[in-house]
Amino acid sequence: MLTIETHKEDNHDLLVIQGEIDASNSVILDQKMQELTESGSKSILVDGSGLEYISSAGLGVFMSYLEDFQEEGITLKIFALSPRVFEVFKILGLDQLIDIYESKKAALEA
Amino acid sequence: MIKLPSIHIGKLSMLLAILVWLSLLFVDLVRLFGLLNELESGIAAEFTWVLEILFFLTVYLFYNYSINKNSQNDFLNLIWRAASTGIVAVFVSIMINLFYSLLGDSHLFNDPFLKNFFYHVNFALISIFLISSALLWKHLILYQKTKRVVKQWQAYELAMLGAMFFIFFNKNSFDYSFLFGFVLLVGLAVILSGNLKWIPYLTFREKWKSLLFLFIIINCCGYLFYQILLYSDRGMFVVNLTDNLFLVSLFSFIFIYALFCFLVTLFNLPTSSVFEQKLTEAINFQRLSQSIQPEESEEQVLDILVDSCMSAAYADAAWLELGDQESTKGFLQERFMEKEMREELSEIIQNQKLAQEWAVENKPENLNPLSLRLSHDRFESILLVPLVINKSAIGRMVLCKEVRDGFNKEMINIISTFVRQACIAVENHRLLNQAIQNERYQEELKIAQRVQKSLLPTKLDHNETFEISAYSNAADEVGGDYYDTFKLDEDRYVMIIGDVSGKGTSAAFNMSQMKGIFQSLIQLNLGPAQFMIKANAALSRCLERNHFITASIFLINTKEKNICHSRAGHVPTLMHQNKVGKSEYLGIDGLGLGILRNKQYENHVEEKTFKYSSGDILVMFTDGIVEAKNEKSQQFGFERIRTLLEVYHELSPKEIQTKIIDALHAYVGGDGLIDDDYSIMVVKFSDE
Repeated sequence: MLTIETHKEDNHDLLVIQGEIDASNSVILDQKMQELTESGSKSILVDGSGLEYISSAGLGVFMSYLEDFQEEGITLKIFALSPRVFEVFKILGLDQLIDIYESKKAALEA
Repeated sequence: MIKLPSIHIGKLSMLLAILVWLSLLFVDLVRLFGLLNELESGIAAEFTWVLEILFFLTVYLFYNYSINKNSQNDFLNLIWRAASTGIVAVFVSIMINLFYSLLGDSHLFNDPFLKNFFYHVNFALISIFLISSALLWKHLILYQKTKRVVKQWQAYELAMLGAMFFIFFNKNSFDYSFLFGFVLLVGLAVILSGNLKWIPYLTFREKWKSLLFLFIIINCCGYLFYQILLYSDRGMFVVNLTDNLFLVSLFSFIFIYALFCFLVTLFNLPTSSVFEQKLTEAINFQRLSQSIQPEESEEQVLDILVDSCMSAAYADAAWLELGDQESTKGFLQERFMEKEMREELSEIIQNQKLAQEWAVENKPENLNPLSLRLSHDRFESILLVPLVINKSAIGRMVLCKEVRDGFNKEMINIISTFVRQACIAVENHRLLNQAIQNERYQEELKIAQRVQKSLLPTKLDHNETFEISAYSNAADEVGGDYYDTFKLDEDRYVMIIGDVSGKGTSAAFNMSQMKGIFQSLIQLNLGPAQFMIKANAALSRCLERNHFITASIFLINTKEKNICHSRAGHVPTLMHQNKVGKSEYLGIDGLGLGILRNKQYENHVEEKTFKYSSGDILVMFTDGIVEAKNEKSQQFGFERIRTLLEVYHELSPKEIQTKIIDALHAYVGGDGLIDDDYSIMVVKFSDE
């Protein structure tokens, strides 16, 4: 099961992910990201505290937006990932490309 | 054995009938000769009667046989046969009368022999006409027979048989017993004549034809009966053949039934179109249900549907469209309808409030046909019929009529039934096609599976200084895991393991690309890091935006006893160091292939060279193993693999591989499916 909620907070868009992202539901994440970029958001914060698992398809979604975000000056920050999920990001090397923080506070301060 | 020639009943009975008639003629002429010459011929009248009965029976036999043989006679044919026999009998009779009127008062006119001869001819023809007609009537009466009717008919036949022999009792005189028998037989004939079930099945045209034929039969009957009366009035014949209860009753039967048929057919004429309509509806319904066969196309079913509905509703024009109401890009059927007219009407319908509500309010499965009044100069009423398949509307049919309120409840009911049936046919047709298609896809997938298996090496390159083993399993028919080996020279070997993001067919395609890239780049004698950079550049051009590939590459130099390694986002490789007696994951950074699709990738790839010694083991695998979950949703994890290797490092690569896979399956649980592709490759350097 996967639920993704988006909130507007100050000048950030908060994306709260709950559950597991795999090949069958990575489309949902893609849709939300698409909506946010189209709405003209400049800063996206992803709350990964509820993310239990992410498959390569889910990682592919984050990956596919990196270039666009760089071009359009949109910042993407992920925070509060569980160690196991963070490990997945790290193994793939995505931690070098995406800013990942321990907490929301750290993400906002950075 | 004496073989009896097979008896041809038809020919035999005809021959017998002719012989009996000739002998009857001969006997009567002889008697007449005796009478005229005042000689006692000594032939009793009973002798004639016996021959007469024999004649009736043989004619009966002949017609019974010949009518049954042509069993596929339709009603019209049967009546025509009776009518034509009647015409022949009447024609011959008229000819004889004409002949006599031409003779005038000549000697021949008064010749008793000639008169008797013609009398016998007339008698024969009348008998043939009556008996054959009676047998034809039998077919009509027994159409859709019940047991009761069959019993009645048998009783009538028996009574008629009795009537033949009545002459012996009655001696050919008109008395009360004759009258009694006659009334009885007429009564039976009237009862039988109530069976007219065949008439409604005639079409309008056929009814007119049968009216004509019946008219002919009735007139023939009347004329021939009149002739008989004339003969018996003249009383110039030695033995009267025609004042016979059998013949007279037959006359009445033929006449009564023909009259009944005539009247009933006449009164059936106005309602015959309704019956025809119902019959066509039934046939159309059957056609719709039969059109489920796969060779029939959807268009044909809808074609039949439009025709059936039009005829059921007496519609003046109609069209059928598939797809949304706004965009009719689908299949279109038009009947007596121009494109402009259709668009004009569509617009009028669109603007009707009722139609709008109808289209919006109800769920498709609850939609009923909607009858509308229209303010249009040609069509005044219209019926909208939704085509619903699997709870969703796939289109609509529009029937138009030039009269106001042209669609009644009965029409709408039958049309609804037609549409439901057609929709079922179309749905079944689609499902069947889908099933066939699926079958084909399954076959295709099997081929893909075979092709993909062949992409993985069957023989792993190595030399005597190390052993190697590998295994791969796909979650679906095809998968995205990849491993391969390459021999650069006698001392240098390359091992690669890779994992394509996602799974299934798309992953399988990318995996085959990875194989191509590996096999071509590796021949350029590149170092691991350079290989990754080139592979990333190549894959950046062909991977979809959200796909990437992870890989680990090892360049083993058995002479130098070192390994040069690079990792591109792949799960770390486990290495067992025999000297230390410990297993550790190789720590090296590296970004997955296809994630950064520009020069910057070069900054994210590392290369490390390290020594190995004998007894050391490399275990390469994909994330399918690490992420496999047990019932409690806990992952197999890196640590378990590490411990397993420490425990089993003494074993051969093949055995280590088996131990790990077995442990994995045991962890996931007996029937638990591992829902990701997983692969493993184990390399063990020999103890020297």
